[in-house]
Amino acid sequence: MRKIRFIAQKEVYHILRDPRSLVIVFAMPILMTFLFGYAINMDIENITIAVADYDKTAASRQLTGDFINSTYFTPSAGKPAFQDPERLLKTGGAAGILTIRPGFAEALANGTEFELGMTVDGADAQLALAVQAYSNVLLSRFLLNQLPPGTNIGGVRISTLVKYNPDLKSSQFFVPGLVAILLLMISALLTSITIAREKETGTMEQLLTAPVKPREILLGKIIPYVVIAFLDGILVLIFAKVIFGMPFVGSKMLLLLFGLIYVTAALSIGILISSLVSTQQVAMMAALVTTVLPSVMLSGFMFAIKNMPTALQVLSHIVPARYFLVIIRGIMLKGSGLQILATQAAALVMLTLVLLTLASRKFKTTVG
Amino acid sequence: MLKAYTGLIKKEFIQVRRDKNMLRIIFIVPIMQLLILGYAVNTDVKNISLDLYDYDQSHYSREFARALAAGDYFKFERDDRPLLTRSLWTLDDRFRNGSAEMALILPNDFSGRLTRGEDVTVGLVADGSDATAARVGIGYMQQIVYRFSGRIAGFESPLTMRHKFLYNPELASVYYMVPGIVATLLTMITVMLTSMAIVREREMGTLEQLLVTPISGTALLLGKITTFAILGFVEICVALIVGILWFKIPFVGSPLLLFGLSALYLVTTLGIGLFFSTVTSTQQQAMFLAWFFAVFCILTAGFFTPISNMPQWVQYVTWINPMRYFMVIVRGILMKGAGLSELMPNIYPLIIYGGLIFGFAAMRFTKRTT
Repeated sequence: MRKIRFIAQKEVYHILRDPRSLVIVFAMPILMTFLFGYAINMDIENITIAVADYDKTAASRQLTGDFINSTYFTPSAGKPAFQDPERLLKTGGAAGILTIRPGFAEALANGTEFELGMTVDGADAQLALAVQAYSNVLLSRFLLNQLPPGTNIGGVRISTLVKYNPDLKSSQFFVPGLVAILLLMISALLTSITIAREKETGTMEQLLTAPVKPREILLGKIIPYVVIAFLDGILVLIFAKVIFGMPFVGSKMLLLLFGLIYVTAALSIGILISSLVSTQQVAMMAALVTTVLPSVMLSGFMFAIKNMPTALQVLSHIVPARYFLVIIRGIMLKGSGLQILATQAAALVMLTLVLLTLASRKFKTTVG
Repeated sequence: MLKAYTGLIKKEFIQVRRDKNMLRIIFIVPIMQLLILGYAVNTDVKNISLDLYDYDQSHYSREFARALAAGDYFKFERDDRPLLTRSLWTLDDRFRNGSAEMALILPNDFSGRLTRGEDVTVGLVADGSDATAARVGIGYMQQIVYRFSGRIAGFESPLTMRHKFLYNPELASVYYMVPGIVATLLTMITVMLTSMAIVREREMGTLEQLLVTPISGTALLLGKITTFAILGFVEICVALIVGILWFKIPFVGSPLLLFGLSALYLVTTLGIGLFFSTVTSTQQQAMFLAWFFAVFCILTAGFFTPISNMPQWVQYVTWINPMRYFMVIVRGILMKGAGLSELMPNIYPLIIYGGLIFGFAAMRFTKRTT
């Protein structure tokens, strides 16, 4: 126990000697939460479209107005050229072009069938699907407004109640996720170099000749970083609450407890990497490459896991952020308790243990 | 001068080749990521778990349930018997543990009112914690309800909208995402390599050894940069080949143009890496900066979420993200066959950006080394 404390103390000196890094470790997550909390918005709105109105009647102008004045669309700066309307899509000047052929008003008055055209930039499939859905909704609405007043066709109306996030702000969904991902990345980075640095500078041998067990070295090295990462997490959470007005429905103690498990898992990734490689540069690059994209893309942060191919769904189980995302969103937004989150927490603990065991085993073999 | 330059490049390559782990991280890991992550991207909201509380149990209500179940928008817990008879108060628990995302409540006068030609209001409860999914789900519901109402009333719309999807008719998101991943990997790896390689020499003390040799600061700089530029180029080629062979992403435009503009982009990322190396003193600091920059680039380049969707002030911030310009270029050339003139608005900023940052960083670097 005492030996672990000494190793930890030594690591603390290392950390304190480089105050610049320490400032970065605390300032960057906050800066990032601030920026991305605003930047990430998956509700696709204000899509730029252009209208090519060849009918030029009151009805066609009405339809045009309905489209470009809705929250879904905004008018493009450029007009589609008659000869080559699609150039506007190619330059990125608009994402869609609504074409109203001549005869629109006539068809509308007579109730005859008529086809409108919407040419969509399909490069971004997501955006294209949104354009399709929005234009169908706007067209239905336009038609209902054209019915003579007093017509009652008797239909189904929906009264909607949205729980947990009544304003449907996507920041409420993304900020907790962002906290989880930033914590994971910074933790993995922090520990990834600790052992590699000793190897690179040659102090590893000194450490090994000292009467400490490899397990004690690993634990002693992790503990100071657990404290740093944990404080970092609390700081970011406070910030998220103050700036984004994040709700905090569930138990704070429970979140802190799970947070502690989570940062330990993340730090274990770094330690594992560190015991596998021999230079700091490789360690850091490995930490970056293995944490950034996978935790952004495979954790359910942006893309729902249930919509992925089965193989990827299986693979996502080794991404620690996956479990913590469910936990942090559940606790902050829905007030979920231990009972509901127990499976996620258990998985996280398992993952941490596996990572730590792997790290200590690899560590032993490299020192011989 | 020339001999010193080629000698330096040779030294750098020996160093890169000697480190097997480094090579794996630069080449194999990114390719694996490309292969895996290309499939991860699916932002279509589908199979929303819907609980249906049907208090009417009539012909109309069952028809409505069938309309909901058609298509893959909504998924009932049990496909064979979608009409649930669960108590309403269990709904909260079902939301919390994720068994249900939406619930629809049909009142017991559902069919009665519809046969009399009156309006009937149904209750929809949505789990708003995933705002996007909730919004899309409510939208789907609205569309289905419009159609159902129209059918009941015998009202057929004379107007139809025909959608034509250019560049990507099957709307495969992989085509859009793979170029994005290629750009991301290129940015991450070149910025990191450059920023850390120079700081490393300084930290290990080998930079001083280099400086006492008759190699000029400029040659030193060019030697380093050329190596990383070559690595970056190999990286982009390998990633593109994998994208084309494996994901069958289209390559409509000119490969030559893409390579030329990639070179332009590399000037910017190498310049940024060089700049980071001049403002930091340890590898750890350089790495933290590079990391911050990489995440910033990924999330504000219009990779996952369109820039036009961000608040105005964030849109201004994205101007300092070189990847946002390159993203448009890569996607434009690969998918739309965009040419030089169409891409100009995204080329100018890169020229200015690259020139400024590279010039500034090179000045700082040579000043510090002489």
